Amino acid sequence: MHSSTSSSDARHDAADEYLRQSAPDRYARQTAADRPGVAQPVPVRPVPVQPWGRILLGAVLLLALLVTGWEEYWRAYGVRPSITNNFGLWAIQRRRIDAGEGDATVLAGASRLYFDMQLHVWERMAGRRPIQLSFEGTSPLAAVEDLAADPQFTGRLLIAVEPDLFFSGYEYRGGAIRYARKESPSQRTGQWLSMHLIEPYLAFDDPDYSLQTVLARQRWPARPGLHSFTRVRKLAETEADRNSHLWDKVDIDPKYRALARSIWAEEFVPSDDDPSPAEAMKSEKEQIERSAKAVARLRARGVKVLFVRMPSTGPFLEFEDRMHPRARSWDALLSATRAPGIHFEDYPELQGYNLPEWSHLARADAERFTAALYRIIERDFWGLKTVASAVQSNAEPAR
Amino acid sequence: MVFNSLTFVVFFACVLALHALPLPWTTKKINLLIASYLFYAAWNPPFVILLWVSTVIDWYAAQGLVKARRPATRHAWMLLSVIANLGMLGYFKYGQFLLDNFTTLMSVIGVAYHPAHYDIVLPVGISFYTFATMSYTLDVYLRRAAPAQNLLDYALFVTFFPHLVAGPIMRPTELVPQFAQPRRASGEQLRFGLALMTLGLFNKIVLADSFLASAAERVYDSDKIPGALDAWAGTLAFSGQIFCDFAGYSTTAIGAALCLGFAMPDNFRFPYAAVGFSDFWRRWHITLSSWLRDYLYIPLGGNRHGARRAYAALMTTMLLGGLWHGANWTFVAWGGLHGVYLAVERALRARFANYRPGPLVFVALGLLTYTLVNVTWVFFRAKTFGKAWSVLRGMFGQNAAAKPILATFNLLSVAAIVGGILLTHWLMRARTLESVIARAPALALSMIWALMAFAIVIAQGAGNAFIYFQF
Repeated sequence: MHSSTSSSDARHDAADEYLRQSAPDRYARQTAADRPGVAQPVPVRPVPVQPWGRILLGAVLLLALLVTGWEEYWRAYGVRPSITNNFGLWAIQRRRIDAGEGDATVLAGASRLYFDMQLHVWERMAGRRPIQLSFEGTSPLAAVEDLAADPQFTGRLLIAVEPDLFFSGYEYRGGAIRYARKESPSQRTGQWLSMHLIEPYLAFDDPDYSLQTVLARQRWPARPGLHSFTRVRKLAETEADRNSHLWDKVDIDPKYRALARSIWAEEFVPSDDDPSPAEAMKSEKEQIERSAKAVARLRARGVKVLFVRMPSTGPFLEFEDRMHPRARSWDALLSATRAPGIHFEDYPELQGYNLPEWSHLARADAERFTAALYRIIERDFWGLKTVASAVQSNAEPAR
Repeated sequence: MVFNSLTFVVFFACVLALHALPLPWTTKKINLLIASYLFYAAWNPPFVILLWVSTVIDWYAAQGLVKARRPATRHAWMLLSVIANLGMLGYFKYGQFLLDNFTTLMSVIGVAYHPAHYDIVLPVGISFYTFATMSYTLDVYLRRAAPAQNLLDYALFVTFFPHLVAGPIMRPTELVPQFAQPRRASGEQLRFGLALMTLGLFNKIVLADSFLASAAERVYDSDKIPGALDAWAGTLAFSGQIFCDFAGYSTTAIGAALCLGFAMPDNFRFPYAAVGFSDFWRRWHITLSSWLRDYLYIPLGGNRHGARRAYAALMTTMLLGGLWHGANWTFVAWGGLHGVYLAVERALRARFANYRPGPLVFVALGLLTYTLVNVTWVFFRAKTFGKAWSVLRGMFGQNAAAKPILATFNLLSVAAIVGGILLTHWLMRARTLESVIARAPALALSMIWALMAFAIVIAQGAGNAFIYFQF
């Protein structure tokens, strides 16, 4: 509430008047603030006198130059155009269940299931592409509970357990379910436009190379007393249906691989933010209870649920075993849910792969791993027929 | 749809192309009206019905006002408009708030009241278009304006997409006459409009969302108790964020309208260089503060009935102005603080009517104003009074044992951007953007324009909603 309704503003008008006299402003104009209690006239919107055509042309040329340079810089670094893994992309896959694919196989996990499962390999063997609903750095339990509450989902569910995320309930990318439910027509359109007009062509259009992220990760002086983790760098490339794989650079560039490992290693060092052992155990118990409820609901509807402990190695595996011993976490989970599970340590064919930064499989190994895992699932759990074996059985004479 | 989205880029390109076609003026206005409804429906299609309801009620209320012969009938038409608009606003925006407070009140007197769950989605921008439509009926009622000549012009005034969801809050006399004659932007208007849109989006996407929002969030949205440095940095970051967010929206809206050949009023005039709070409100969200002045403060008596009545009107206006921003007592506290500031300033002006500050005192008073404005931002940003007190205690050095929250990068970006905003506002406080642009070399303008656009592109904004949409 300004005082143009009161007596005067003479006090600082003097200073303003001085400035006006020193720099006369031919574009000066009144606003509604200067006209109390009257009908406001059509506003004045002057255009400064300038050669706007030349200015625009110059700006467009310079912008094109800058964008090209930025794009080339990141391509030289090894980045290739990739689809951005955001809530909109997740929502597209989640909607497949509502749109007639409720009987599909759904993958729910964190980054290991997301990067390590190759959808095209699965499709080649099963004849049908699964729906990928994993999110990096995020416990899958919210997604599992969402599926449990959705009567349209009647298919098969593969839930990956990445101990540090699963048993803590941590959600780095929480909010996808809410987003998918509330996504506006404008957001859907924007997602489509971005996926078709921007992301397939521009390498720099990746959250890891946004202006703020790039500036924030420069070597700024540490603030005394503040313990902060280095943000995880780009690790994967994603396709339009969320098929994803570890970025080759992590595998072939020793410096980048060392960087990725060093960022994980920060988590292995105890810090003040870590939960106490009692808190960690309480959290494990809570997550297992959540899982049991969701799985019971799913199985009551005929959904086949299978847990899988994806591979990890080196210091990462040591850290996970220390924080969440198998008997207390994985075994307790299977016992409480009464659901079957595949632990990579129990199957020789799921071991011996290349995990460049201890947590995710290299791209070629992810393909082999997917095939191996699929065979185990087919053989021991879901009785799925591979396309190859189906062809073979059809070709065999009836006995 | 939000301005900072790909959807809007495509939408706006289509609207510009349609508006440039050699079609009759009425057809172009119908195109703009349909485009505006699409713009709004892109959030939540059913809420377009609210726009229609608001439009139709005020259209007929104004017609009734003109035809009415008796004062009582005029009064009744005006009340119909006010009650319908405020009723709609009250239901969608304040329903839950009122219910929560009623429940609390009942529990205080020992009654355990458990209302049914009240899951109402707030239609985006309802506070803005409600005020715009109300100003139409009220201007006609107050005989400040004649009613629009046809429903199309009036509907377009209410719905015109650049101002629809977050202002500037237009008055009918500002926009309806612009629909009377064919309008199409000149080449210069189109290019300057695009430059304004770039400036607005730079403020929003780069400064507000990319750099300032995270510092404010870390302080205000965490459970940690902030020390003096973090509390001040978080609050200053929010002061910069809300300015860049909201002034960025207004600038983009003004630019978009200009690209189509329409003029919209200024909504901000370098407010952080204000000296005193009446000056602040002449510079901050001008179209809201003048709306409140014209349709609330003056009808409540303004300063025409003595000091006591003026203070009461001032406080009522500011408290309701606070509540307009959100259904939470923290917003009321924000408005109340501004009311107290204005009242104290008014008393001081009366007591020291002949005082003229020198240049140093002038600047010092400006910095004092900015500091006190920051104190009010604490209540605006904090979701609870508990959090607000925690931040305020930190700002006044009472959280000595607090651990650091913000990293060096956050502190430096807040210092650089907020320092830059303050400096710019002081350099520009008696100037207009247009005058500075007119004097700048064309090459420099090209470079600045390109750099802002480049920063927008590489910032990769996530299409975050503007803060004021929630109001």
